[in-house]
Amino acid sequence: MVDALLTVLQRPNFLTFVILFLWGLYIMVTRYNLVKKLIGMYLVQTSVIFFLVSISAKRDATVPVLLSTTEPVQAASYLNPLPHVLTLTAIVVGVATTGVGLALCGAIYRQYGSLDEEEILKKLE
Amino acid sequence: MSHQLPAILFLLPLFAAISMPVVCLKHRHWSQPISVAILAAMVLVSILNLYNVLHHGEVRYVFSGWATPLGIEWVADGLASVILVLFSALGLLGVVFTGPTSPKDLGGRIVHYYTLILLLVSSLTGIVFAGDLFNLFVFLEVAAISSYALIGVAGGRALFAAYRYLILGTLGASLYLLGVSYLYAVSGTLNMADIAEKLPFLLHSKALVGGLLFMFIGLGIKMALVPFHAWLPEAYTYAPESISPILASLVTKVALLAWVRIIYWVLNASIVINDIPILLLVAVVGALAAVIGASLALAQQNIKMMFAYGGISHIGIILIGIGQGNPTGFVGGVFYLLNDAVMQAGLFFLAGVAFCHYGVRTIDDMGRVGKQAPWLTGALIILALGMIGLPPTGGFFGKWYIILGALEADNYVSAAAVVLSTLLTLAYFVKLFEAIFRQTSTGSDVPLGTIPLSFKLTLGVTSAAIMILGLFSSPIIQLLLSHALPPGL
Repeated sequence: MVDALLTVLQRPNFLTFVILFLWGLYIMVTRYNLVKKLIGMYLVQTSVIFFLVSISAKRDATVPVLLSTTEPVQAASYLNPLPHVLTLTAIVVGVATTGVGLALCGAIYRQYGSLDEEEILKKLE
Repeated sequence: MSHQLPAILFLLPLFAAISMPVVCLKHRHWSQPISVAILAAMVLVSILNLYNVLHHGEVRYVFSGWATPLGIEWVADGLASVILVLFSALGLLGVVFTGPTSPKDLGGRIVHYYTLILLLVSSLTGIVFAGDLFNLFVFLEVAAISSYALIGVAGGRALFAAYRYLILGTLGASLYLLGVSYLYAVSGTLNMADIAEKLPFLLHSKALVGGLLFMFIGLGIKMALVPFHAWLPEAYTYAPESISPILASLVTKVALLAWVRIIYWVLNASIVINDIPILLLVAVVGALAAVIGASLALAQQNIKMMFAYGGISHIGIILIGIGQGNPTGFVGGVFYLLNDAVMQAGLFFLAGVAFCHYGVRTIDDMGRVGKQAPWLTGALIILALGMIGLPPTGGFFGKWYIILGALEADNYVSAAAVVLSTLLTLAYFVKLFEAIFRQTSTGSDVPLGTIPLSFKLTLGVTSAAIMILGLFSSPIIQLLLSHALPPGL
C-alpha cells in the first residue's frame, strides 16, 4: 500500500493529469450552468495536453536543439519534440471547440434568457 | 499525376471552402452552384481514384516527401476509395438538397453555411485516407466542429442539441487523444502501419490495453454506439432539414470506419488481449446496439427521431458483420455500411421533404399526406424495403452476408441479433405504413402542388441507388472481396 503510494508520488505529473481529468469530468457532469460545463470540458482537454507534454520529458535532458553538429546525436540528452508539436495542434483544436461552444452558449442565452440547464429544459417542455 | 489523387480529393473541397467567403462576398447566391460544381468534380476525381487504385494497387501518399514513419502518410486502398466514391456522391446529393430546404433567415451567412458543408466533406476525406492516428484525430475534430456549427444553425431546440453534442463529442475526442498518446508512449510511433509492426511485441503492456480502451470509447461516442448514443437523436432531429441527411449518412459512418481501420489495420484481427478476443467484444457490442436502437426507434412519434434511432441500430448491425473475423462477415459489414449510408441519406431527405413541402413531423401527420404524395410514399416504400432488408434491395444482401459470416464463425447470438433487429425494424415501419394507409384524417388540408425538382432528384436517386446496390450486389461484393480485405483476413 505504502509502496504503491510512493510509486504514484514519484510521478507527480501523472497524478496531476488524473486529478485534472477527473475534476473536469466532475464539473461537466454535476454543474447545470452551460458555461461551467464548457470550463469542465476545457479542463479535460487541457489535462490530456498536459499528459502529452509529460510523456516527452526525460531525466537530465535539454531542449531539442542540437548542441553540436559534428558529434553523433545522443537521443537520451534531448527532450522528445514530437509530443510538443502534437500539443500545439491539440490546443488549436481545443480553442476552436471552445469557441463554437461559447457561440452556442451565447445563442442559447439570447433564445431562452438563461444559461441554467434545468431552466432551459423546463422551457423546452 | 495519378498518385496525387488523394491529395487533390482533399484539397478540392478545402480550397473551395476557404475561398467561398471571398468569392461569394458580393454574390451570395453563387455559393450553392459553386458547392455543387466542386462536389461534382470531387465525385469524378474519386471515381478516377478508385479506377487507379483497382488497376495499379493502393496508393501510399506521403506529404512533402517525408518518408514514413517520420512523415504523415495517407493510404488510399480499396476500402477507402470505394467508400469515398459513395461519400462524395452523397455529399453532392446533400448539397443539391440544401437549395430549397436551408434555413430561410440566414441572409448573408448562407455563404458560411456552404463553407462549413464543404469543410465537413473535406475532413471526411481526411478521415477515410488517414494512415496516422493523430492525423485521424485532427480530421475527426474538424468534422465534429463543422457538425456542431451546422446543427446549431437551425436555432431553437437545435442550439441545445448541438451544445450537448459538442460536450459529449469533445469528451470523446479527448478520450481518443488520450488513447493515442498512450499508444505513442508504448510504441514510439503514430503511423498505423508502423504500430501494427511493433504491436506483437507489446501485448503484455497495460498501457496498450488502456490506450485501446480509451480510443474505442472515444470513437464509440463519435459513432453513437449504444451506451454513448444519447446526443444523436436530438441533434439529428432538430438539425436543419438539409443538414440531417449529410450528418446521418456520413459523420457516424466515418467514425465507424476509423474503428474498423484501427481494429483490422493497426491491431491484428485475431488479437487476444488478457484472454479477451477483441472481435468478440465488437460483435457483442454491435448486437446490443442493433437490438436496443431498433427497440427505441419503435417508441418514437417524430419521424426524424425514429429514423435517427434506426441509424443507431444499423451501426450495430455493421459492427456485428465486422466482428465476425472472417471475409464473408467483413465484406457483409462493409457492404451494409455502403447501403446504410445511402438509406440514412434517403430517409432524412424524405423527412426533409415531408416537413418542408407537406409540413409533416410526426407519424400521425403522415396519415394526412398519404396518397396525395406519390414521390414521398413511393420513396418511403423503397427505403423501408431497404431498411427492413427485403430482396432485391441492397439491405437484404448486406444482412445476408453478415448472417452467413456469423454462421460461418458459429456465432449464433450475432445472427439472432440481426434477425431480431430486422423484426423490430419491420415493426416500426409497419407503424408508419399503418398511419399512411389507414387515412384517419381528411386530406383536405394538404398543400398540393408540384414538388421542386431537387426533391424529386434526391428521393429518386437514393431510392434507385438502394435498388442498384441490391441488383449489382454480386460484382460489388466480389470487388470488396478482392480489393478491400484487411491484411489479416
